[in-house]
Order: sequence, then structure tokens, then C-alpha cells
Amino acid sequence: MWSDFFTVSVFVATLASGIRLATPFLLAALGEAVGQRSGVLNLGVEGVMLIGAFAAYFTKLKTESTVLAVLVALGVGAVMGLIYAFVTVIMQAAQGISGIGIYLFGLGFTDLLFQKQVGTPQPIPKLAKVEIPLLSDIPWIGEIFFQHNLLVYLAFLLVPVAWFMINKTTFGLNIRAVGETPEAADTLGVSVNLTRTFTIVIGNTMAGLAGAALALEVGIFQQNLTAGQGFIAIALVYFGAWRPVGVMSGALLFGIVSATVLTLKTLGIVEGAASSLLAMAPAILTIVVLVVVSRRIAAPAALTRPFDRAAS
Amino acid sequence: MRIRTTPKTAVALVAGLALVAGACGSDDDSSDSADDAEEAVDEAEETLDSVADEAEEAVDTAVDDTEEATENSAAEETDEAAGDGETIRVGIVAPSASNDLAFTQSMVDSVERVEAERDLEVAITDGTFVVEDAAAAIRGYAEDGFDLVIAHGSQYGGPLEEIAPDFPEVSFAWGTSVDTFGLDNVYAYTTNADLGGYVNGVMAAQLTESDVIGVVGPVEVGDAKLYVDGFSNGVAATNPDVTVNVNYIESFSDVALASEAATSLVANGADILTGTAQMVVGATGVATESGLPWFGTQSNQTPLGEDIVVASQVYHWEIVLNQMLDSLEGGTLGGETYTLTFENGGLEMEYNDAFELDEAVRASADEAVAGLTDGSLTTGVTE
Amino acid sequence: MEPDPAAPMLEMRGITKRFPGVVANDGVDLSVLPGQVHTLLGENGAGKSTLMKILYGLYQPDEGSIELRGEPVTITSPSDAIERGIGMIHQHFMLVPTLTVAENVALGLGGRHGLSDMNPVKERLADVSDRYGLRVDPDAYIWQLAVGERQRAEILKALYRDASLLVLDEPTAVLTPPEVDELFATLRQLTDDGRGLVFISHKLHEVMELSDEITVLRHGKVSGRTRPSEASRESLAEMMVGRAVELTRTVDQQTAGAPQLRVSELDVIGDRGNLAVKSLDLEVCSGEIVGVAGVSGNGQRELAEAMFGLRPIERGHVQIGDERTSAPTPRQVRSMGLAYVPEERMRDGAVADFTVAENLMLVDYNTPTYSAGGFLKRQRIADRCRELVGNYRVKTPDIDTPTRNLSGGNIQKVVIAREFSSDATAFVVAQPTRGVDIGAAEYIHERLLEQRANGAAILLISEDLDEVMQLSDRIIVLLEGEVMGELTRDEFDVNTIGLLMSGVTSASPA
Repeated sequence: MWSDFFTVSVFVATLASGIRLATPFLLAALGEAVGQRSGVLNLGVEGVMLIGAFAAYFTKLKTESTVLAVLVALGVGAVMGLIYAFVTVIMQAAQGISGIGIYLFGLGFTDLLFQKQVGTPQPIPKLAKVEIPLLSDIPWIGEIFFQHNLLVYLAFLLVPVAWFMINKTTFGLNIRAVGETPEAADTLGVSVNLTRTFTIVIGNTMAGLAGAALALEVGIFQQNLTAGQGFIAIALVYFGAWRPVGVMSGALLFGIVSATVLTLKTLGIVEGAASSLLAMAPAILTIVVLVVVSRRIAAPAALTRPFDRAAS
Repeated sequence: MRIRTTPKTAVALVAGLALVAGACGSDDDSSDSADDAEEAVDEAEETLDSVADEAEEAVDTAVDDTEEATENSAAEETDEAAGDGETIRVGIVAPSASNDLAFTQSMVDSVERVEAERDLEVAITDGTFVVEDAAAAIRGYAEDGFDLVIAHGSQYGGPLEEIAPDFPEVSFAWGTSVDTFGLDNVYAYTTNADLGGYVNGVMAAQLTESDVIGVVGPVEVGDAKLYVDGFSNGVAATNPDVTVNVNYIESFSDVALASEAATSLVANGADILTGTAQMVVGATGVATESGLPWFGTQSNQTPLGEDIVVASQVYHWEIVLNQMLDSLEGGTLGGETYTLTFENGGLEMEYNDAFELDEAVRASADEAVAGLTDGSLTTGVTE
Repeated sequence: MEPDPAAPMLEMRGITKRFPGVVANDGVDLSVLPGQVHTLLGENGAGKSTLMKILYGLYQPDEGSIELRGEPVTITSPSDAIERGIGMIHQHFMLVPTLTVAENVALGLGGRHGLSDMNPVKERLADVSDRYGLRVDPDAYIWQLAVGERQRAEILKALYRDASLLVLDEPTAVLTPPEVDELFATLRQLTDDGRGLVFISHKLHEVMELSDEITVLRHGKVSGRTRPSEASRESLAEMMVGRAVELTRTVDQQTAGAPQLRVSELDVIGDRGNLAVKSLDLEVCSGEIVGVAGVSGNGQRELAEAMFGLRPIERGHVQIGDERTSAPTPRQVRSMGLAYVPEERMRDGAVADFTVAENLMLVDYNTPTYSAGGFLKRQRIADRCRELVGNYRVKTPDIDTPTRNLSGGNIQKVVIAREFSSDATAFVVAQPTRGVDIGAAEYIHERLLEQRANGAAILLISEDLDEVMQLSDRIIVLLEGEVMGELTRDEFDVNTIGLLMSGVTSASPA
């Protein structure tokens, strides 16, 4: 039985599956990481993912345009970002509880819209796989990395983009400063609130995109489609120590372990109670690494702390 | 029928807004975020209490507006109820959406069918995948004087066992289960889902060319386990050379995981798929994409794949509902267990006309149904 | 820069700033000439910070005008202030610890095509560093730097932006005496370049040494203008406080009694898991004040907390009188006769939301005198509190006023009243006059000496070297959790102590 698992084709299929599973996590977690680097915790990722997922699903259902579906998901994500920025940056509300509010809103709102506008689950065509010329022909590697839909490629391309933005641009310098010591940034003329508003909008837009990636990958929407993925994405930000590459490692680890568990079950290698236990493996592994990592690297010092010039 | 989309729709929506607003409102002189959060929660809870009812009404109105027909019949019935006092009030608490094309919808559809014949006033609280929310809803219906409160989910047994003794005048029902906790105001209902599973298995075994069939399951309990075991036995009885790969993903809601599980099954040779519970919409998508036949259960799943759904085992809960309501009118509040079977008409095979099913295969399925109905055939599944 | 020595580079006229319930600045005038150090002197809450925040664009004045180099200006934001050549060296460094020195300097400046290329920044930074002898590694992260280096980074940040007017808010508070000398040399070089400096301090001898002009603020108003040649420390103190103040206290020689408070081979772990106190021995006799000097962060706080049971002891023990313990708890050491005036008075010393009476009774409330059967004896408590408030001259509307409404000095008097009125025989007193006005500080010093005269053993931990030297019979100097040296009263000398604080022992060649 185990010998079945150690065949090239199973291995390759499992890794490719892991990459697909990792994609929504990666998109949401990258966005959340950017927000957290600027000192804003957004527990509403799950809710925004749901809204993005519904927006993409509904647009695709009605217009059959994938491009439009993705654009609408990005748009509603950005709008949710503006709302969250207004609440936490302008109104200086406590971030934890506001984020939970956004989550509940997203959960309830998408379900209501779905019931009123769609009714019963109606499938939409899944997003087509795009095989990258030449690269997809490489044995094994091609199937693992280069036979996915465009949003999968986009998610992974955004990793170096996010890294570059955070580490090599003046905007990134502002983000890091604002997340660590907003008072210092303020005295040098960096607008703390504007910087945070931007990062929140970026983060929520990416959460919307993550939702779209999910809905277009599974080709359907239903109540609570995300099933906790947004919260796992937040955990992955800590897991990745607020660094894009770390976040990507976390998302990939989570995705690949999940896919491996599925493969082991498909092949009948594990069954019954062992299979139930194994289903917890991704979560347990994440927690273990989280504990190890969080002992090593500190969170942005100003995380969850609203900035108020008068109080400093 | 009134569908109370509380708590997961309206209340979640309102709670979300209230929390956000509350968090903003608490922005006074205190810079202590813990204080802020606490205040926000308090405020939000207060707001929630006061607006939940209004929201509920508002949503009801919305539902009524869009479902005029239902509205009319419900109004008529309510009028009648006021007249003769014979109306039985039924409250239903269900874990997923009313339109999930699966477990919850099977009950909602059934109740609609019963309502057409009987004098009922029905209210539904759906989407209570959090057991604590469900417990609150169950207690709420009992306190509101409903005659029958149905807890539609095997995960609701614990709270029901605690709540039922507090309301000896109210009848409770829950499923799928066979356990009435020895209480005389609790009915249990279940379904022999293995029957339809077996029939689906008989057909699948004849359709497969690769001799590998894939099954996506949620958690290995209840009617999901019965269905999957019945399906496997049906396949084995028809063609012992066929391998059935079962993948329980340990979740009732993770659509992405269900999708990948189906993909994994297909990658490992499956050319026929089936599955049960509300997250299978992820798996039907894979079946559609790969053009592989799909066998459904719980509700008629043809809308999920017009081209690929072969047949669905459909639950007709109205059979057990009618049995319960008859018993209730006779003055008995519980203590019985009712089961859906082919024999009592609670289970039915529905076929997708758009799928060109070989006559011989269809005939073998009908034969299996007949055998399972008259008892000459058994699925070999024991609970 | 083309300084015209006669024309002021900054002219603030009639600045008034009101906050709810308080006038922070009331018609303040300030004029700074190029090439001069203009000192702004005043107690906490006198309005210095408000005035400087207005200058830096963080607040807008309600009334008054600002002129820079003869032009009337409205400074709308810190970036506006920076553009106009104003630089601010904050007391609490405005540096991002997780960024490098170069990144901190470049923050807010923008970059070519939005990219943060550090190479041109480092080049220019090297020029500025060389010119003023402000040595600091541009690639080092701020958290890796010592306090003195951080201050150099902070100054470089302003100079990099070509600030011609620099505001230095209490820049010496965190420095050792040798570092202060170095800083003053740099500041002199800056004024030689024609820059104007606003120097904020309450250390009178520094003010006398560095200033060209002095403006004294009291209660938001200018209470005096002078220059060092026309002033004395006493006259400056009088302008600050509004009455004559005794600055140099003569402490009577007193023969110390038997050892009362003892710490042996103490190891304590700090917040970051480091060994903050290393194998430390000390002894305080009854009728003796032992001062602990050192730059903040060298184990003083950990030592005090460990002695009082607020932080676990890794190794060693604490002895009070004849009793010793290696795992003290606050209640236990109190019963052994130790009292504690903590450094963070609003965190560890008093509960801000409690009334004055409640804070005064925090220690004794459950003794039979003040409670029976779980109920407080209200009348007896009220009598006792009124007596304490009177004796310790706590300025409060009444004993039921929430403590947070009191000034820093009065909160400290509440803590001191509670601790000193106990029958403790040994005291750990940390930073007793930090953030306290001169009048209250004077009073607190009197009370400390009174306890000494009554035979108490007092361990006085303070970053204010003047305070330690004035009150102590002996001084030990802490560096990185270790005793660098111990001096008796006749050996006290700022330079010696300063060198010990920075790690130069008497054995090393000076």
C-alpha cells in the first residue's frame, strides 16, 4: 500500500494538489501580512474572502466572464478594505473585535445574497488550467508547477512582488516603520493613517482575490464556502513570521500536508480513526511550527495598536 | 412556511455591523484596547439583543416578498389556525442552508410537501453549524410554544437530551439517530441510507470501465457512513473486481478539500464518483470537469451536473413527519424511532433523464430496489 | 547657511495653547539666534513639550505667531517642519528598532522611483557623520545599538535633513557623564556652523554649562529670561518653582548601625531572558542610605523587583534583619520589614482608578486595625488617611479623589506616605523623584533622610546622579548587572562615577 504512495505519478499529483489547495491561503495570508506589517490586524479575512468568493461566483454565473468575476472580487475586497480602514484607522476602533464583526458580516451577507439571488447551488465552469509552454512539458516539474489556472500563478508571483514592495520600496519602508514605531514615522512626516489605509486596502483586496480563487477553483458557491480558510491564513502570517517567503512556505506546507493526507486516504493507506487523526495534521503541524517560530521572531511592535498623535 | 434565516444570516449580519459600530463607539478617552474591546463586546451584545428580533422580522418580510405563493398559503393557514386551533406548530433547526441540495434541503422539501396536506405552521432556523446556536434555537422554539421541535442533525443529540426534559408538553424529534434517550417526548428518526447507496453501487459497478470508483465522504458517522457502506456493498455484490476508494475528508463544509479529494480519487483511477453531505458540491464540480458519472444522495442532485448525474437517492422525510404528526395527534409526544426505507416510501430513487443510462443497468437498479423493498435482498450493512 | 548673528532664526510670539481644563502655553515668547544654544527650562508640565510640539507642527497654537528667518509661517505637520529646516531630537528616541540606522534616516524622504536604495543614503550619511564625529554603523539595526549610539542616530537623522534649527528634548537624561561631555562637544560644533539649538533640560548644572540664553517656563508662562553669566543654579530653580529652593543639602554624618538589608550572590533573569543581575552582593546597614548608580537598563529594575518578590530569583537570597529567603513574595518580604517605592509608580506603586484612600490602604487594609471579618472599618480608615494626607502634604481635593487626577509629585507622595508610614526597617526606593517637581522632590528627600535618622536601611536606586550623590552614605555603581565599584562619601566624584558607569574601572588606565 505504502509503495503506491511512493510512485512518481502519485507524488506529482499530490504536490500539484497541494499547490492548488495552498493558493487561497497564500493570497489571503500575503495580504494580511502586508497589513500586519503596518500594525493592523484584520480578523475579518474570512468574511472578505466569502464576499470575494460570492462576488466572483455571482459575476461569473451571470456574465460568464472570468475577467469580470475577478475584477468584481478585487473591487468588493477593496471596498471592504476602505470600510475596515475607516473603522480601525479613522475611528480607531479595537481591531480584534472589528475584524470579527467584518467576518460575521461577510458570513451573513453572502448567505443572504446567495439565498435571495441564486437559491440552490448552481455550478459555474471551473477556471481553466493554463499550461505554460515548454515549462509544462518538463517531466514531473511541469505537472507540479506549470499546469494550473492563472490565479495560482498570480498568487505565487505576488510573493516576490510583496517581498520587493516591503523591503525595497519607500512605501515598504513606511509600512515597516509604521508597524513598529508609528510615532517615529509620524515625526518624519510619514502619514501613519494613510500608510495603514493603503495596506488595509491591499490586504482586503487580496482576501477578495483569495475568495475568487476559491470559488473559481471549486466552481460553486454555498453558505460558508471558505470553511475557516481565512482564519488559517491569519495563522499562516504568524507562521511565516510576517515575511512573504515565510507565508508562502506556510501555505505550501499546509496545502501539501492536506493533499498528502487526502492521497493517503484515497489509496486506503490510512483508514478509520487514524484517518481522523491525520486530518488534523495540517493544523497540528502549523501550531507546532508557530510555537517554534513565534519564540524566535517578534510581531510588529505596534500590531493592533491604533495610532493617536495626541496620545503619544 | 417561514424560514428563519437566523442566526447565521440575519444575526451574523447584524452582529457584524453591531460589533464594528460598537468598536467605533467605544472610542472615548480610554487608550486601553482591552477596555475598548470589552466595551465593544458589551455594546454589540446589547445592540444584538435589541435588533435581532427586528432583523428577523425584516428578513421574514423579505422572504415573504420574494416567495409570494408561500406567503399566501402560510397566511391562509395562520387564519385557519386562529379559527379552529387545530394547527400544529413545527419548528425546525438545521445545520446547513435550506437550499444545500443535500441534508437540510431534503427536510425543507419534505416539510413543504407535508404542509400541502396538513394544517401546519412551520418555522425553520437553518445554517446552525455551531451546535450552541442550534441549542439556543431549539430552546427558543420550545419556549415559544411550538408543538413539535425538530433538531435536524445527529450532532444536536447532546443539547436535545438536556433541553427536552425542561419542556414535557413539547414534542421533540431529532435525527439521524435511533436514540430517544428513554424520554417520552423525544422522537428519533433515521434513514436507511445504505439502501439507496446499495442501488447506486449496483449501477456504478456496471458503468465503470477502469474498475475504480471514488467516494467523497464527510465524517464516518450517521447516514453518511450508511450510504458509503451500502454503496461499497452494492458495488462488491455486482462486480467484486471493482475497487472502491473512500475518502472521508473529516469535514461537512470544506468544499475545497472535497474538490481536491475528488481530484485525488480521479488521479488514482476512479472513473465514477459519488459522495454525501453538503460539501460534495466541490466533488461534483470535479466530476463535471472530468465528465465522469456522479451518483447522488439525500436530495436530487441533478442541478449540480445536468450531464453527469446518473441518479440520486432522495430522502422523503414527509413519511416520518406524517408518522410523527399522526402519533402526536393521538396524544403521544415521543418515545418512538422512525426510519426511512424503500418499503415505506421514505426513500426513492430519482433518475436524471438527461443522462443516457443503459436499459439493462436501469433494470438491475429497479430489481435491486424491489428486492430491498420486499426484503428479499439486504445491503449487508449493520449499524 | 549664511547666519546673520543679529537676526533671530526663530521667533515665537504670544503662543497660547489650551487643552480642556488647562492652559498649556499662555502667551509664550521664544527667540532663538543662529549659532546659539537657547535653553528652555521648566518643571514637568510647565509647557516646554507643548511649545516644542507646536514648533514641530504636531499641535496648532490657539493664539500667537511663528516666524522663521523673518518670515511668518504656519507649520502644519512634522514634514512641514522638516522642510523648513527644523529638527527634533526626542527624549524618547523616535527610531524604529527593527530598521537599520540608514533606513531610519531615509524614512519619509522618498526615493528615486519609489525605491528605497540605501547606497546614496549611506554615502551622504557618512559625510555628515565624519563632519560632526557622530560615529555609528549605518547598517546596524537600532536595537543592536547602545543608548549613546541611538542618540547619535537620532541627531544624524535631523542633520541629514539639513536642519538649521535643532530642538533637543532632555538629551542627557539617558547618558553617562562622559557621553554628556561628548554630546556637548558635538552641540558646540553645530552652533559653530551657525545652527540654532533649543535645549530642553532640568539639570541645572548642564544648563549653566551649555546655554547662551535661558527661558524659564512655569505653569505655561514665561517666568524668567536670563543667561548663565547673570544667573546661578539657585536663581534658576527659583524661577522654575516660584520660591527659593534648597539645592545643596548638607547631610549629617551618621554612624551606621548593624547590617539590616542584605543581598547575596543574586542572579536575576531579565525580560529578554538574559542574566540582568549577576552574582550581586550588597549590604545596607540601619541608618544608612546606599545609592545605586548606573545608566538605566543595567539591572537596577530587575534587582529591585527581585528583592521585593516581583521577579523570580535565579540564585542567591535576600536577607532582612535575621530572616532570609531565596524565593520572596511581596507579602512575605513586607512581613519581614521591607517596604518598596517602585520605579513605575503608576504601574507598580498605585492603582490609578483607586481613590487616594484606597491606595493609602493597599498594604494595611487587612490588618485587624482596619478590617474585621472581611469588612473594612471605614471610619478608622478615613481618619488614618486624612492624617497621612496631612502629614505628607499630599495636595488632593479629598481622600476619595481618584488617584489618576493627582499630579505626578502628589501620586509619589501617596506612595511614599503609604510605604514610609509602615513599620518597615528596610526600604528599596527606586527613582523617587523622577518626573516630580522640584518642590515635591525636595520634600521627598527630607523624608528619606528622616527615615535614615530613624535607623532605617535604605537602598536608593536612581538614575539622577546628583540625587544619589547628595543623599547616599555609600554608592555602588551597576553595569550590566554587576557591581563596577563602590565608593564611600569622601570618594564621591562625578567623573569617577561616570567612568565606572561606562565600564572604566579605577584599575584601568584612564
